[in-house]
Amino acid sequence: MLGTILPLLVVLLLIAAFLRGDFALTLIYLVVGGLVAGLWWSKRALAQVGIKRRFNTHAFLGERIKIDLHVQNKGWLPLLWLELRETLPVALVGPNNFQSVIHLGPRADAKFEYSVEARKRGYYPIGPLSISTGDILGLREALQVDAQADHLVVYPKIIPFTSIEIPSYSPQGTLRHSLPLFEDPTQVFGKRGYISGDSLRRIDWKASASTGQLQVKLFEPSIALETCVILNLNSEDYYYRSRVDSTELAIVIAASISNWIVDKRQMVGMAVNGRDPLTMDGRPQPVPARKGKRHLMRLLETLARVEITGNSALIPLIQEQRYQLAWGTTLIVITGRAGDELLDELYQARRWGQNAVLILAGRDASDESIRRRAKILGIRVFFIVTERDLNIWMQELKRA
Amino acid sequence: MNLKSSSNAIGNEKVFRSISYTLVFLMMACGVLTLGNLIQNAAQGGHSGIIAAVLLFIVIDRLYTYQGLKSLTPLSSAWVMAHAAQWIVIGLLIRFLLSYVNGLDSFRTDLSLFARGYLENFFAPEFVFTLLLALLVWVLTAQFLTLLDEIGLDAELALRENPAPRLEQGEIVPAHQRLVNLIFSMGIVLVILTALTRINLRAIVSSSAGIPKVEVYPFSGGEAGALLYFVFGLALLSLSRLMSLQTHWNRLRIPVSSDNLTRQWGIYSLLFLLILAVIVSLLPAGDSLGFFSVVGTLFGFLIHVLVFLSQLIVVLALLLFSLPFLLFGKAPPFINRSAPPPLPTLPTQPPYSFDSSALLALLRSIFLWGSLFAILVFAFIHFARQHDGILAALRRSRITNWLLLAWQWLYRSADQTRASLSRAIADGWQNIVARLEGKRSLPRPGWISLRSLDPRRQIYFFYLAMIRRGGEQGLTRKPSQTPSEYAVQLEKALPSAGEDIDSITEAFVQARYSRQEVDSRKSDLVKATWGRIRRAFQDKSKSERSANK
Repeated sequence: MLGTILPLLVVLLLIAAFLRGDFALTLIYLVVGGLVAGLWWSKRALAQVGIKRRFNTHAFLGERIKIDLHVQNKGWLPLLWLELRETLPVALVGPNNFQSVIHLGPRADAKFEYSVEARKRGYYPIGPLSISTGDILGLREALQVDAQADHLVVYPKIIPFTSIEIPSYSPQGTLRHSLPLFEDPTQVFGKRGYISGDSLRRIDWKASASTGQLQVKLFEPSIALETCVILNLNSEDYYYRSRVDSTELAIVIAASISNWIVDKRQMVGMAVNGRDPLTMDGRPQPVPARKGKRHLMRLLETLARVEITGNSALIPLIQEQRYQLAWGTTLIVITGRAGDELLDELYQARRWGQNAVLILAGRDASDESIRRRAKILGIRVFFIVTERDLNIWMQELKRA
Repeated sequence: MNLKSSSNAIGNEKVFRSISYTLVFLMMACGVLTLGNLIQNAAQGGHSGIIAAVLLFIVIDRLYTYQGLKSLTPLSSAWVMAHAAQWIVIGLLIRFLLSYVNGLDSFRTDLSLFARGYLENFFAPEFVFTLLLALLVWVLTAQFLTLLDEIGLDAELALRENPAPRLEQGEIVPAHQRLVNLIFSMGIVLVILTALTRINLRAIVSSSAGIPKVEVYPFSGGEAGALLYFVFGLALLSLSRLMSLQTHWNRLRIPVSSDNLTRQWGIYSLLFLLILAVIVSLLPAGDSLGFFSVVGTLFGFLIHVLVFLSQLIVVLALLLFSLPFLLFGKAPPFINRSAPPPLPTLPTQPPYSFDSSALLALLRSIFLWGSLFAILVFAFIHFARQHDGILAALRRSRITNWLLLAWQWLYRSADQTRASLSRAIADGWQNIVARLEGKRSLPRPGWISLRSLDPRRQIYFFYLAMIRRGGEQGLTRKPSQTPSEYAVQLEKALPSAGEDIDSITEAFVQARYSRQEVDSRKSDLVKATWGRIRRAFQDKSKSERSANK
């Protein structure tokens, strides 16, 4: 637009200078004033716009998330028009993004409410909200700013397992006994009345004195009795035609097993070799074994964020974790494809005293050979091709 | 949501159309006013008033018939018929009006000559000129209306994909931008015409020998036209901006959530223009007419022209009623009795008084030339940014490099001067503050009297003296070094004074960083220690000198 106004101004200035045409000066005031005032108004008003977005940042699959958007004009200059365009992930809303045009008077505000549906697990940006406005005369292009985006975490699907067949000296195995095999005398989690046969070393003398009855300390199971779920999201380890579905299935298995272990009040940790958009190097941080619902949410959050990646081998991740885990820990490795190298590594883990379970998610061509070899090495293998196969861990409840 | 926004646009269409047509009419009227003034200035016997009235009539006609003619397929028989019929009527009207200006007798004579087939008499130069002007006004009005339709007045056309022409780079030129270009381009022409109305053109044309003398009129009615043209132009731009935005929102299916957007837009547009007009009228421009009196001038002229046109229509109607009387050979009862309508006149030149001081004239001159220079620099920067080759060539040029170097030197010098000045001011201020507080934070220039310092400051002094002497000997203390680190460095160079260096460092650290009382006995001890260190320094420098020899 300046290309048109500049010649006009030059002509006006020349006339004003040479012909003493005072009307030219008035016209300069008018044109320049209109242009400058219009631009100043729109810039100033846009700078005074405040945006607040409020919603539950975490959601479960299938949940509808209500998003409240509060647009406020903090200044005294009115905003003639304000175009709002929210950028939303297709996985949450489909092709229809939130967009609207409003007029905001001085110190006025507008509230909007829209919702998105958590159709797929993931870590999604809600926004940025593109705000644009312009001058009243349309002499310059519209001014646009992007308000900061917030993020929504959609947890993966959780299938409620009733029982998982994991070898007996795993932490799950301890649940079947009245006394744990391994106890950590430094971790007291409660007390109970003395029963004949209890060791005298377990008697809590202070508690006994205060209650007037002999009390024995109950210890946490040994730190070695923990589970580590190792999830492989290396793209090359999944059958290429069903890569996306298989990795999603693997994530569902990891989430469901973690949920089941936490439900059993056991400790579970996790290591994933996928890509985490929140970390600097893109590698997900391993989650150390803990127990409790809060810890489960942390695990689920990691599982919600992780994405499939390439060139991220599983074996080094297992080795890295194996050396950090204590004796007796159960390694649950979830992957799409298993080879001799992986079985050897799990066998090494067994020899170290760690328990190894292999879950193959999705289609794999070498089913029988793997089963045979794993049987020889004493490693339990599960083949989960579809979600329906997970029924094997839900049947006990039905039987009951 | 989309239905709502669409229906909103349709609901406003009539209002938008009437307002925009009114604004186009007013803008064209301003143009016609300026043109009429120019004709009046250039030709003594020219009928500028009647030409202006005819042109205004053409504008009204175009506004009225545009919708009907638009629906016809271009160059179809219906289209040709409609346009031909219209232009024949316009041509006859112009011709007979120009005859009518010279009186009723002249009008009758021309009518009879035309009836007998004397066409050469019909195409007089003034008629041809007026006809061309009418064609120009017709085309310009149509141009405005077409653009307004494309912007949003015609919803179907506006929402059609890719209706606009493309630039060289392949970008689409939005209709609103083309309207801006049209308004400002026409504005430039109008400003030049207005400038010409202020020059005595007749004197220039009539001067027979030598360079013609340029006489400048203080004020002409054309100025009012040019000024108001821009005011109405800005109003039209505001309206078209709203229409183009609504079209854009409709195209992208963005719902408009505020019901009162259009109303608020209208209110704020009027406020904006009113405030702008008030500010412009208050700013010193030296105009003999105020802004609002200029508005009065234009509307006075418009009313005059409209009254004339309505009277003319009445006269024509009476003429038609008179025809049967003429057929029966009787004198028509109305024509002789009815007085001819008075011809429209252009705004007259008001008395002009211009008294400005020399200082004001100088300021205005500086402002004008400064603005011109700023605009040229701005335009050049934009042009250079758009053409990378020019920037590269400038960088290669030696003169540019020299200029750049000179600029850098100037910038550095200015920066140094600024830093020195700010330091001096800060020091001065600190001195003043210290004096006011009754103590001096900075030492006075000249020799320091040790007796005037308290024991703590004496220890500072001796320690700083050690650092200074160390620096002279090439053992400069780095800013990152702690006192103990520096002590280690010194001890390596002066092993004989190791204990003394430790002692003076420790004393300094205590004096500087602890709240312990420092008495004169301790400062005396430090003084003695410093004496020994100084001698060690002297010995070291002597030995170095002898080694060099």
